[in-house]
Amino acid sequence: MLQTLKLLLPALIPSWRFFDTIAPSPRIEFRLLENENQKADIWQEFRPRPANLSILTMLKRMFWNPYWNESLFLVSCAERIINNQSEQSRRHSSQEIFSRIQCELERERTDVTTTPYLQFRLVFVLRNDTQIEQHITYISALHNLGVEAS
Amino acid sequence: MNMDVAIRVTEILLALAFLQQSVEHLVAAKYERTLFALRIVLSLLLLFGIATQWVSLLLVVLGLFVLRRFQGPYNGGSDRMSLLILCCLCGVLFAPTDQWREYIFGYLALQLVLSYFISGWVKITNSEWRNGRALQDVFRFSAYPVSEALRGWARYPRLLCFMSWMVMMFEILFPVSLLTQSSLIAALVIAAIFHFGNACLFGLNRFFWVWLAAYPSILWLQDRIFGM
Repeated sequence: MLQTLKLLLPALIPSWRFFDTIAPSPRIEFRLLENENQKADIWQEFRPRPANLSILTMLKRMFWNPYWNESLFLVSCAERIINNQSEQSRRHSSQEIFSRIQCELERERTDVTTTPYLQFRLVFVLRNDTQIEQHITYISALHNLGVEAS
Repeated sequence: MNMDVAIRVTEILLALAFLQQSVEHLVAAKYERTLFALRIVLSLLLLFGIATQWVSLLLVVLGLFVLRRFQGPYNGGSDRMSLLILCCLCGVLFAPTDQWREYIFGYLALQLVLSYFISGWVKITNSEWRNGRALQDVFRFSAYPVSEALRGWARYPRLLCFMSWMVMMFEILFPVSLLTQSSLIAALVIAAIFHFGNACLFGLNRFFWVWLAAYPSILWLQDRIFGM
């Protein structure tokens, strides 16, 4: 209960410091592996943004934008994994990322029977002076999708 | 705008914002779907003005479950503003006296003003915002631009510097608009266009709907202080 009230407090007394600094920005990448020992470097970005978006789609998204908002939530989860000191919060964020990648795989009907091991990593993008740099800051443990399905 | 009208309009706008947010969660996993299906039912009751006092209280309780479910807000600032409006609305509906109603609704209006003023202040005190670099970074590598094509805007530093100053000046000067009703209405229209732009460029659609729900409180407060 106390924990929940702690979560409520920033809503009742907000800081309103929107975009005060442009922090390193996380990208979530994942891979599917055949077994626990496979070392394949086959990371793919989770839900990459489209090359273009029509004005009509932007207007539709005023009313219906679930996957983009979910992606923004996962950005928060990625930041919590890196910044948050609480083990419980890190575990929660990691589980959220796993479960939402898994849902996406199911939605896209990706066959995972031969590659049941899911892993994700967090790549933070930042500007160092004028150069854009990418740093891999976290690699998750393996998550066996086959165990959950059975 | 008198207080009763302002409260009723707040109820309607908040209910619509909650409906928009909640429907988006119906594509999620089962527990999440259940939470937000419940919120849809309560939002419809709020929208049609049925037992609004108890409905607002139930929405606050449900909001706590949602906070627990996501270990914080699902969509940062927009969820925080939703909860702030909801808690203030609930407080107003349960307030023992008219004076308490005014304090609580006035607090919501004050927070709305601060949401613009503080956002502007933290930007204008940052040299990267003043020279346009920060907005360039937003387009260049942040998670927000909704398409790769929008990242190309980072190649127009002068335009982005101009846009940065427009945003900062608007946010900083927002409190001045309280002086007259017409200046406040003009400022709220500009603010709504600003949120609409953010929704189109950065996919922040929830901010647009929920910030609108706080506008009746500031229209009431302006009338209460300067309209006498």
